[in-house]
Amino acid sequence: MATTTAPTTTSVTATDPTNVIVETRNLGKIYRDFWGRKKVNALKSLDIEVRRGEIFGLLGPNGSGKSTTIKLMLGLLFPTSGRAFVFGKDATDVAKNERIGYLPEESYLYKFLNAEETLDFYGRLFDMPASVRRERAEELIQMVGLQRARRRQLKEYSKGMTRRIGLAQALINEPEFLVLDEPTTGLDPIGTREMKDLILRLREQGKTILLCSHQLADVQDVCDRVAILHQGELKELGRVDSLLKVQDVTQIHAKGLDEKTKLEIKELIARSSGEMLRMDNPTTTMEELFLDIVRESDQRPGRRGSGA
Amino acid sequence: MRLSPEQFWTYFEWLIERYALLQGFLLVLILAFVGFVVGFVIALLKHGPTEGFLQVSKLIRELFIVDLPGTSFRRIGAIARLAIKEAIRKKVLVVVAVFIVAIMFAGWYLDPQAQYPARLYISFVLTTTNYMVILLGLFLSCFSLPSDIKSKIIYTIVTKPVRPTELFLGRVLGFTAVGTMILLLLGAMSYQFVVRGVDHRHEAMGISSDGRTGETSIQHAHSHTFTLDESGEGYTNETKGHKHIVTKVGDKIVVGDSIGDLEARVPIYGSLRFTGRDGEENAGLNVGYMSEYQKYIEGDSLSSAIWTFKGVRPESFDTELTYDMTISAFRTYKGDIVTPVGGVVVFRSMDGSVVSERFPFKVKEFQVDQKSIPLTDLKGFRNEQPAELDFFKDIAPDGKFEVMIRCQDRSQYLGMASADFYFRARPMPFWWNFVKGYISIWLQMVIVICFGVMFSTFLSGPVAIIATVSIIVLGFFGFFIDDIVKGTNEGGGPIEACIRIPLQSGSGTELDLGNVALEKSIKFIDKSILISVQTLSQAIPNFIQLGTADFVAYGVNLFGGLLSRHLTICFGYFLLTGIISYFFLKTREMAA
Repeated sequence: MATTTAPTTTSVTATDPTNVIVETRNLGKIYRDFWGRKKVNALKSLDIEVRRGEIFGLLGPNGSGKSTTIKLMLGLLFPTSGRAFVFGKDATDVAKNERIGYLPEESYLYKFLNAEETLDFYGRLFDMPASVRRERAEELIQMVGLQRARRRQLKEYSKGMTRRIGLAQALINEPEFLVLDEPTTGLDPIGTREMKDLILRLREQGKTILLCSHQLADVQDVCDRVAILHQGELKELGRVDSLLKVQDVTQIHAKGLDEKTKLEIKELIARSSGEMLRMDNPTTTMEELFLDIVRESDQRPGRRGSGA
Repeated sequence: MRLSPEQFWTYFEWLIERYALLQGFLLVLILAFVGFVVGFVIALLKHGPTEGFLQVSKLIRELFIVDLPGTSFRRIGAIARLAIKEAIRKKVLVVVAVFIVAIMFAGWYLDPQAQYPARLYISFVLTTTNYMVILLGLFLSCFSLPSDIKSKIIYTIVTKPVRPTELFLGRVLGFTAVGTMILLLLGAMSYQFVVRGVDHRHEAMGISSDGRTGETSIQHAHSHTFTLDESGEGYTNETKGHKHIVTKVGDKIVVGDSIGDLEARVPIYGSLRFTGRDGEENAGLNVGYMSEYQKYIEGDSLSSAIWTFKGVRPESFDTELTYDMTISAFRTYKGDIVTPVGGVVVFRSMDGSVVSERFPFKVKEFQVDQKSIPLTDLKGFRNEQPAELDFFKDIAPDGKFEVMIRCQDRSQYLGMASADFYFRARPMPFWWNFVKGYISIWLQMVIVICFGVMFSTFLSGPVAIIATVSIIVLGFFGFFIDDIVKGTNEGGGPIEACIRIPLQSGSGTELDLGNVALEKSIKFIDKSILISVQTLSQAIPNFIQLGTADFVAYGVNLFGGLLSRHLTICFGYFLLTGIISYFFLKTREMAA
């Protein structure tokens, strides 16, 4: 299994218009009731760009306008003000959908179809010939690991399996731009890791990804740039590494130091008028611990791990 | 069953001469105008006048420039296949099971003593199938799209390059395919039910000493009497709408299968005009409230009823020209009450140079009087000289001729309407008429599906059902508007009616406001409103007119022209609902 790697910097020229996949200009959305009265101002004057080849994260608490932004970009909603462009075309233009893949926050699929039928159906919607559909469906079923469940109706699927077939349908047309709304929802830690690895692989293949998630760790792991929304307003926009960098704190990772050396380091910091905040042994993450246990269990079934 | 003249118009007569095409064109214009105005007002409120106008124009432009050319048959096929799979996996075939149960127990509620059992059986299966299939179409079409929107599955559909045209076409085709499949099953079962239900054999019994007459055993709650000719062949009398061939085989008399109950008579109708006692054309006489349907001719005068027939071909007949009459009489004096009023029938060429001899008849009130004349060696006159005539060579060389009926009794009157005289061509097979009856049901189902899908593009499932049912019910009252426009329903249009009410002016009187110009203006505005409303009412399907079960049940061949008209009407509704659906789908926020 591939492991998650830190986000790499991609060579994107921000000023080059051909490299801009999504652009919103003063994008706003007001939800109204039946009588046209204002219910909620879901999005206010959003100006963002998603550039070719990057993983762009949309972050924010519930009701911050993330889903509204995605729906406006996909033409599922119409803006109250401003405009959204995808591949330089208006977001309501159906033709843009040829190059887009979309995984909604829940896998909204026909439960009476099985995996093969689902992929065949969505392949037909892209006007793909039968041979291409078959080939692509086979490839995707292998990729998302649903070989054994390919003939089972989706109503019999677990939430994780439904997520995976949802992702497969989003990739059926080999999209250039992929919109993933909460892609790791419902997945176990292994599934989550696999999903993140897959997202990174897709970026390596040159795809542009817009990711919307509550899982801050996921966003941190995979995104190149993020936009943070709150109450419909853009609060922060920039590269993940620069946004997360704490400028006035220095972190040193060293191995094999004895107690004397550690003491000397502390004295050196004190002499330099610095403040020693913490010096201890690092802990691994729960995700890493869990994955190590599962890996060991896979290799040596029946034995209790020695993790503790 | 009484046919109305419009039922036997030919297709092109209906389309061109009776202005169906023009009405359709007007309807499109009015709806387009109304649609544009409504769309513009909504866009104006949302975006202001300039942007609103541009939005509406863009929408119309995209239909013709982007979405129609970009429509893909593969995508339509995908959505249609999905609709079929959905219907099957959601166990829609339960409709067939319900139908099987209905016909299994049909014997409990179909009266075996009925005068025309075949008619009863056919009516039962056609009506049951009709209702079931329409209900099926209603539920399939009204719930599918709202269900996709509610479950948000539509998100994964409309974010693919799917056009609104494809969403509509795919769903309509899919549901139509499901309905067709079920209709085929129900049709096959119904046919078996009818054929097996009326099939019966009698045994000959009570044979007279000379072996020429007798009666049959009782089967299906009836028996027949029969008479054989010298060659040992004959027919039974007609009971319960059928008779049997009877043949003598050796010493035994065999009663054959029933004939006449499952048939498809092919009537050939003509157009009727009248002449008065002076021989000049008129509209026929009205003898009071005897019949609104028939007009009358005066006896022992030049007053006559003249039918003009077109397209009558020799290959439609055997050796005789068979015709049916349903003529009624109006007596101004009783006279010899036992002897019916008499008349004559004359066949003549269009230019009147060749005329057949007179064929006298006595009126058989409330019955179909079946008669025939020979096709060859027909006595008559050519250029007023006695001659032996060949019907199709001398009288109807190009299939056109006239039939004239006159009343012979002084001061008595004969009444008739267009459909009261027709020729009976060689009958068509019953099964084909049965199939045509089912095609008619199929067309009704398609119309319901089109309306169901259209309403489901902007309404929730239950509301879409109510809207579709309302359209069907409203269609039943389309005749009311027709009656007002034609003047059959007196009292004028809406403005005139509003003036009459406070003035307490009777609807049967002329509107009198003391100002002719004002009266004319009111009538002119009313007429314009009524014609617009009448045209708009054409947008609502009239399921009474579209129903043809009576044709099959009464054994009358369903005219190709009538079926073609219904097909055209169905196609018109398909286009209409398709265009409306397009605009609703295009302007709807799927995630709102």
